Amino acid sequence: MRSNWLPEIVKRAQSGPYMKEADFDLKLTKRIKELVREYGIRYDANNLCPADDDMADRVWQAGLQLFVEMGSYCQSTERCIRFTRDEVLEILAQEPGAVTLGMGKDAVVMRHRGVEDPQRAIMHSGPTGLPSSEKYHPLILLSCAQEPLVDCLGAGSVSTYHGERILPGTPLEVLGSRRDASVAREAIRMAGRPGMHINDVAVSLTCAGKMAAFDTDAGLRPSDAILVSQMVELKTDFDQLSRVAHLYNIGAVRVDLMTPLLGGVGGAAPGTAVVSVADHLLGAVLYDADYHMFSLTHLHYVNNTDPLGLWTQSMVGQALARNTKIVCLNDIYVVSGPGAKELFYECAAGALVTTVSGFNMQGAGTTGGFFPDRTTGLEARFIAEVSRASLNLTRQDAAQLVKEILPCYQATITSPNRGKPFNEVYDVETVQPTTEWLDMYHAVKEDLRRIGLKLA
Amino acid sequence: MTISEELKTRLSNALIDGDAEIAEAAAVEALDGGADPLALINDVMIPALTVVGNQFQNGEVFLPELMLAGDAAQQVSKHVEAAIAAQGKTSEPKGVVVIGTVQGDIHDIGKNIVVTMLKAHGFRVVDLGRNVASSSFLTAAIENNAGVVAMSSLMTTTRPMIENTINLFGEVGERAKYKMIVGGGCVTEDWASTIGADGYSADAVGAVELCKQFSQ
Repeated sequence: MRSNWLPEIVKRAQSGPYMKEADFDLKLTKRIKELVREYGIRYDANNLCPADDDMADRVWQAGLQLFVEMGSYCQSTERCIRFTRDEVLEILAQEPGAVTLGMGKDAVVMRHRGVEDPQRAIMHSGPTGLPSSEKYHPLILLSCAQEPLVDCLGAGSVSTYHGERILPGTPLEVLGSRRDASVAREAIRMAGRPGMHINDVAVSLTCAGKMAAFDTDAGLRPSDAILVSQMVELKTDFDQLSRVAHLYNIGAVRVDLMTPLLGGVGGAAPGTAVVSVADHLLGAVLYDADYHMFSLTHLHYVNNTDPLGLWTQSMVGQALARNTKIVCLNDIYVVSGPGAKELFYECAAGALVTTVSGFNMQGAGTTGGFFPDRTTGLEARFIAEVSRASLNLTRQDAAQLVKEILPCYQATITSPNRGKPFNEVYDVETVQPTTEWLDMYHAVKEDLRRIGLKLA
Repeated sequence: MTISEELKTRLSNALIDGDAEIAEAAAVEALDGGADPLALINDVMIPALTVVGNQFQNGEVFLPELMLAGDAAQQVSKHVEAAIAAQGKTSEPKGVVVIGTVQGDIHDIGKNIVVTMLKAHGFRVVDLGRNVASSSFLTAAIENNAGVVAMSSLMTTTRPMIENTINLFGEVGERAKYKMIVGGGCVTEDWASTIGADGYSADAVGAVELCKQFSQ
């Protein structure tokens, strides 16, 4: 972002073209359809990780054009915040291409990754997007933080405070936000990694709640982050922009969270890819994000490991990797739960495609976010291992492997195996996976080795 | 007067394709030719939009197709309603539904899909938008003499507001007057039943069926 540009953004939010939100959505969906046609962007079900640089560049051009034409819709003012192409490109040119996350010996540098980049992806984990109970939240966090291949932790969300339901905008949101931040700090301390980056406290839905998470002693620190969300698609409001202002004030890490809907306003995979690129540009221009969290979500299944989702993630990753220096993180979201073998296959497909397409890793969001306590550190270990094994692969290799992995879970997307809660797949005393869960992990790894993935 | 099969097909296809321009022209042609506007709604518009709704539900088309079909129907409706008014009649809605995403929840795509489908099926929809306070649902239900109050929540953190809203209707003695239906990403049938909702649907087609059932 240009230095001290937030006042200008607020000004444009108050003076940009007025438009009813439904009209913005309709105009957006029509324009996306036209751009997909103009730029000849086509989905190929037989190649979910296309080695097609030209198409990646066309996805980029279409996304840039869409963002410049539509801008971002400010729900607070019902006005469009617009930027010129030159302004967008100037801001992108200033991107540093890397960000330091965490502190001390536990700090990591998360970089912009290229297509088929040999440098490893940074691995984020935690119960992000999935509620936890007060009872098991500390153990779930510890199970993730103690995994050696996990670099950063998301604090997730607990929907109660001392048994009382947390409602947004109430004092319990403020208390819950600080409590969850403290629990995450304790988890990384217990894992022997007190400087590990914490990437959000998800319970809070308001700016006040997010601000409450910060406390250098016991909560989030400036080396940590909170998420600044976009509302689908290409929408923001003053609550989100106020988070940016607070993060500037305290010098903490800014994360752009977008959850484009596959099958939503963008339509099928090509249109969703185009609007997802535009979403990233919103994060770069309005939020001045240090990194971007891409959480593609299928409208019906709430995952991103179906064929359309994998293709979309691949094309978005490649488009951004080839044409910008922004730091991108992909959130692998699956329908299965721990205790189900399909969870590992879903994670494998997601990690393979997105690693070679230029993303850093986050995962796994399990059970489509519906079933509390169903996430563990083991699937994070697995994603990181598959991602590392993918570093020497080409996009063609990844596409071929995914073709062989898909039949292991594709039929279950519409009737998922939601698995078991944390306490049934981990020993809650030792915080280690049960033999049954570990056996599934080893069995799937063996399957992947058999089809040619060189897993450690 | 009945309209020709060719014109009926042209209008129906234009609605299904979401082509507002062709749909509007076909509707005007039909009405100018003396077509019964109510028959146009019941015999062409509702069946066409039901086709798109079912295609959406089955994953054959996505949200843009649903939005464009809704937009085309809106353009046609302007002419149809004017024709009904010119006959000195009024078009009675199938029922009145007050709908919104509960307080704290800013996710409204699912709710918007339900709104589009309900309108297509002839309901009058009072869309309160997102982040709607319990008291706003109550006020709107009373003011609009609604038959159904529909609430959605995507997130577990905002789900309790559905229960709070149902409880508020009970506290002020208004609960029995309305059917209260619920849905959204984090809402399940079991949970809906524990909080005393009258109905639950996992999808937009089901929500329309519930409203039809409760508006008879």
